[in-house]
Amino acid sequence: MKLRYSPTSPYVRKVMVVAHETGLVGRIGLVPTNVWASDTDIGRDNPLGKVPALTTDGGEVLYDSPVICEYLDSLHDGAKIFPASGGARWTALRRQALADGMLDAGILRRLESMRKEPERSASWIDRQRAAVARAMDTLEEEASNLGASVTIGHVAIGCALGWFDFRFPGDDWRQGRPTLAAWYAAFAGRPSMTKTVPKDPA
Amino acid sequence: MALVLRFSPSSPYARKVRVAAHERGLTGRFREIASNPWAAPDDLKALNPLGKIPTLVTEDGLALYDSAVICEYLDTLGDAPRLFPPEGRARWLALRTQSLGDGVMDAAVLWRVEITQRKEQGPTPGWVERQQGAIVRALDALEREPPALAAPPDIGAIAIACALGYLDFRFGFLNWREGRPRLAEWHAAFAQRPSMIATRAKDSTG
Repeated sequence: MKLRYSPTSPYVRKVMVVAHETGLVGRIGLVPTNVWASDTDIGRDNPLGKVPALTTDGGEVLYDSPVICEYLDSLHDGAKIFPASGGARWTALRRQALADGMLDAGILRRLESMRKEPERSASWIDRQRAAVARAMDTLEEEASNLGASVTIGHVAIGCALGWFDFRFPGDDWRQGRPTLAAWYAAFAGRPSMTKTVPKDPA
Repeated sequence: MALVLRFSPSSPYARKVRVAAHERGLTGRFREIASNPWAAPDDLKALNPLGKIPTLVTEDGLALYDSAVICEYLDTLGDAPRLFPPEGRARWLALRTQSLGDGVMDAAVLWRVEITQRKEQGPTPGWVERQQGAIVRALDALEREPPALAAPPDIGAIAIACALGYLDFRFGFLNWREGRPRLAEWHAAFAQRPSMIATRAKDSTG
């Protein structure tokens, strides 16, 4: 398999964490891809111009990260990252959507912050910040139920919090959210997380 | 207790959910509450902290989002044919096609934000072009390989149809059918489904 990869993308990190957790990482070749480069060829694999995109051994291209993660989870016989059915499945998928939505908002905030005056919109930045703050408050309320298990919801939350540490270290999201901070401290110690810490390309 | 769907009549993501509900004969179990996603009311934010529609409250009182999760949940209710293939290649291709349709919606909505939400600041060069490029490449990929016209449709076809319907609704000036006769023909046939006719996009302001 071939993965269109970026070391800074939190959505790619989700895929990599799942690949480590499921023992599939050795079967995936990484193709470093900068979707912001003017000459990027990512459009050949994903018309939307985004990473991650996975080319399967059968030659099909899959995206976006929830689809790739679930596909990888179908390729192994170990403990499943995606609960098969019932309340456990909907809780995990809803948490993944919440974490991915936090990232979507965080990335919109970052892109807006990178615009120059007078094109930068303070109200748009505030709107994204507020959505992320509410989502983190919800996670703080849920954090005592996260436990030590690993579902796609946990993976997505871990990658989202890690990304906010990476891109917005001044936010101090842990302030007022001690239960979530404690859960993250434990989760971030998993080998799948320590091996995929985001970093800017050299 | 009924299912409660928080939606907007102009949202392509909410339309996906409503089309899925129609296709599976579930509309009678729904109560629909329209909300303006640009000024999300507090009770919507309490259900979904991201303040986004669609958000579904299940009969057990669980709040679900986003549209892909809601659609898959609806697929487990009732006994109509499934919109999500359960496994194998068919499943991954349907989910990938759903992501393509959702991605067109994402790009179109971001483009629309430039027009409606950031009009004081004005557009940033390159930003609109980036969104337009994603839409054009996705449409070209779909022209090469339009979704199947299977009945019942799968979630991928529904997502593409809702994305194209949104382009017609907000981006008529794109003339997306030009140079894409196969996709135009596919959409014309799909748009005749009662589920599509019953959920045609309209402005929430009436």
